[in-house]
Amino acid sequence: MKRTREKHYLLLLTPLLLLVLLLAIYPLLFALGISFFNYRLTDPTQTRHFVGLANYLRAFHSPLVHTAVINTLLFVAGTVSLELLLGLGMALLLNHENKLIQLIRSWLVLPMALPALVVGLIWKALYNVDFGPLTYYLKHLGLNLGRGPLGESHLALPAVMLIDVWQWTPLAMLIFLAGLKSLPQEPYDAARVDGANSWQQFWHLTLPLLKPTWLILLLLRTMQGFKVFDTLYATTGGGPGTATTVLNYHIYTQGMVFFRMGYAAALANILLVLVGMLAIFYIILLERQRQ
Amino acid sequence: MSEKRTLLIPLALMLALTLLAACQPPTTPSPKKPFAGTALTLASMSDQYVAAFRYLIPQFQKETGIEVTLDEMGYVDLYAKLTADFVAHTGQYDLMTVDIVWTGEYAQNRYTLPLDTFMARDSAILAQDDIMPVAWSLGEWQGQHWAYPLAGYANVLNYRKDVLAQANIAPPATQQALLAAAQQLTHAQNDFYGIALLGAKGPAVAQDYMVWVQQHGGSLLDEQGNIAVNTPENVEILQFFGQLFAYAPPGATDYWWDQRETAYRSGRIAMMEGWSIARAGYEDPKISNIVGKTAITLAPVAQGVPPRYGFGGWGIGINADSANAEAAWEFIKWITSPEIQKQWVQHQGAPIRRSTLTDAQLVATYPWFTTLLQAFEQGDGNYRPRIPEYSIIQDALGTQVNAFLVGQLSAQQALDRAQMQIQANLP
Repeated sequence: MKRTREKHYLLLLTPLLLLVLLLAIYPLLFALGISFFNYRLTDPTQTRHFVGLANYLRAFHSPLVHTAVINTLLFVAGTVSLELLLGLGMALLLNHENKLIQLIRSWLVLPMALPALVVGLIWKALYNVDFGPLTYYLKHLGLNLGRGPLGESHLALPAVMLIDVWQWTPLAMLIFLAGLKSLPQEPYDAARVDGANSWQQFWHLTLPLLKPTWLILLLLRTMQGFKVFDTLYATTGGGPGTATTVLNYHIYTQGMVFFRMGYAAALANILLVLVGMLAIFYIILLERQRQ
Repeated sequence: MSEKRTLLIPLALMLALTLLAACQPPTTPSPKKPFAGTALTLASMSDQYVAAFRYLIPQFQKETGIEVTLDEMGYVDLYAKLTADFVAHTGQYDLMTVDIVWTGEYAQNRYTLPLDTFMARDSAILAQDDIMPVAWSLGEWQGQHWAYPLAGYANVLNYRKDVLAQANIAPPATQQALLAAAQQLTHAQNDFYGIALLGAKGPAVAQDYMVWVQQHGGSLLDEQGNIAVNTPENVEILQFFGQLFAYAPPGATDYWWDQRETAYRSGRIAMMEGWSIARAGYEDPKISNIVGKTAITLAPVAQGVPPRYGFGGWGIGINADSANAEAAWEFIKWITSPEIQKQWVQHQGAPIRRSTLTDAQLVATYPWFTTLLQAFEQGDGNYRPRIPEYSIIQDALGTQVNAFLVGQLSAQQALDRAQMQIQANLP
C-alpha cells in the first residue's frame, strides 16, 4: 500500500524533476563538457577542438585571473561583513513597533527593489568627480578626490563595495529583524532576574541565539557577492585598469565579448567550485548548530 | 442594469472593433510598392544620427509600405547583441549600423551580406561617384562591400574661439602646439581645463589612444600587417597622450564619449578633439553653454607627420540570415540617396556625399562643412586597424592604456601587457 503511494508521488514529481534536470543539471554538464574544448562562437565553422585541461591551466597561469580572484575575495569579504554588521545594527535599532519605525523600515527596503544596473548608473552619476553631487559636497569639505572614487585605483573597489552595501544591507536588516522577533523571551526574563544588563544580554543571549540567522545570511550574501556583475558593468567596467575586475566580470568578457565559450566555461566552473566549497562549509556549520 | 451586462457591453464593443480592424485590407505589394507589408528590424547605435532615423523612417514607410522597427543601443550592447544574433543565426535584425572597425570581422565571418550584387544591379540610381572615396572604408573589405556608407565622421579639433582669442593663442596646428596650449589654458583652481579626452576603460580610451597614434605617425600593425602595439614609437606616443591628461578634468580617466561631450558643452574646456557629428549640438542652447563660442579646425598632427585625418563612422549592413534582404536593400538605397541625405544631415545625420558637403543651403547652416570636406578628402579610415581581430586589440588597449593613465603601470608595461593580452586572445 505504502509502496503504491510512493510510486504515485514519484509519478507526480516526475515532470518537475525533468524540468530541474533540463534547466539546471543539463547546462551545468554542458558547461563542464565545453570547458575541455577550444570552442569559439565567432569562428565561422564553430568547430570544437578537444584541448583537455588546457583552459583550466590557462586560467591558473593567467595574471588577470589571479587579480580577478583576489578582487572577488576582497569584494565578498568587505561587502558581506559590512552588510551583516550594519544590518544587525539597523535591526536592533528598528526592532520596535510604532508608526515611524514601520515607515522607516518600508523606506529602507527600497534600494533592494531597484535593479542593480539602475543602482549602478545612479551611483556612477553621484560619484562623477566633475559633475556628481556627492563629490561636489565632498570637495567642498576639503577632500581631495583626485580622479574620483571610481577613477582612482585604490578607491574604486571600496567605492563599488559601498554601492553593494547600500543596496543589500536592508536585506540583512530584514532577516535579522525576523530573527530577533522569533527569539524566545524566557532566557531574557531569567537573565534580568540574575541582574544581567542590556550589554550582557546582547552579548551572551542575542548574539548566540541569532547564530542560525548569521549563517543563513552569510550563505546568501556570499553566494550573491561572488556573482556580482551588474553594478560593475554599470560603473567601472572592471576598471580603472583591472582594479575592480572580479571573476564574474572576467567570465563575461571572455564569454560575451570574445565568445570564447570553452575558456569562459572553465572560468565559470572554477567560480562554481569556489562558491560551492564555501556554501558547503556554511551548510555544515548550520547543521552543527541545529544539532 | 446587472453587473454582468455592465461588463458584457464593453467587451462586445471591443470584440466588434477588433473584428472591424481585422476586416481592413492588409498592405499588399503593388508594382509601385513591391515590398509593402514587409517588416524590417534595424539595430542602430544610439549616436546623434539616430534622431535622423526616427525622423525619416515614417517617411520611408509611407513611400514603400515597408515597416521598419528601430532598436537603439549603446556601443558595447550593440556589438554584443549583434554578435549573439549572428553566431546563433537567429536573424533577429535585418539591418544594422556597422562601425567602420567591425568591417573586417563581419566580412571574414560573413555576418552581413556582401552588397556588391545589389550595387552592380542598381548602379544607375545609386550615384556612387558622389560618395566621398574615404566613406567606402565604412564597409569595404578586400574588394567587397559588407556595409554601405551611412554616416561619415572626421576627427576634428573643437576649440573655444573666445578663450583662445583672450589668451592670444592661435588654433593649434601641431600636436606640440596642442600640448602647449592645453597647459597654458588650464586653470584648475577655476575648474577650467585645457583639453577633454576619453580615458574610461574600454573602447573609449582605446579609440582615443588610436587617434593619437595616427596623429603622431605611429601604427598598431607592423609592415607585415602583424599586430605590434608595444613598439618604442607607440610607447612614446602613449607618454605624450598621458601628458595631455594633466590638463584634462580630473574625472577624464573615466570619460566615455557622452561625458567628454558634456564636459565640453558645459563651458569648462578650451579644446577637444572629437567626431564631427557632435559639432551641430554645440549650437543648441538646450544642451550647450557654448553657443556661438566654438569652432572646428583640422585635427593637428605631430611635427613632420604628413597631414592625414582620422576618419570613422558607420555603415549600414544586411544580416546574412535576414529573410528580407531585398526590402532591406530598398531601405539602404533610399536612406543613402542624394535627396534623402540632405534631410538626413538636417536632422542630425552625418554626411557621406560630396553633394551634401557642398550643398549651398547646408553649408550656410553648417559652415564647418568646408573644414569637414577637407578632412574627408585627406581622411584615413584605416588608422584603427579594420582587421577581424580589431575587438581583441581594442579590449587589450582599453584595459592597459587606462591602467597607465591611472598610474597602475608605466607606458612600456601597459603596452607590453596589451601585446601579451592580444597574443593570448588571438584565435
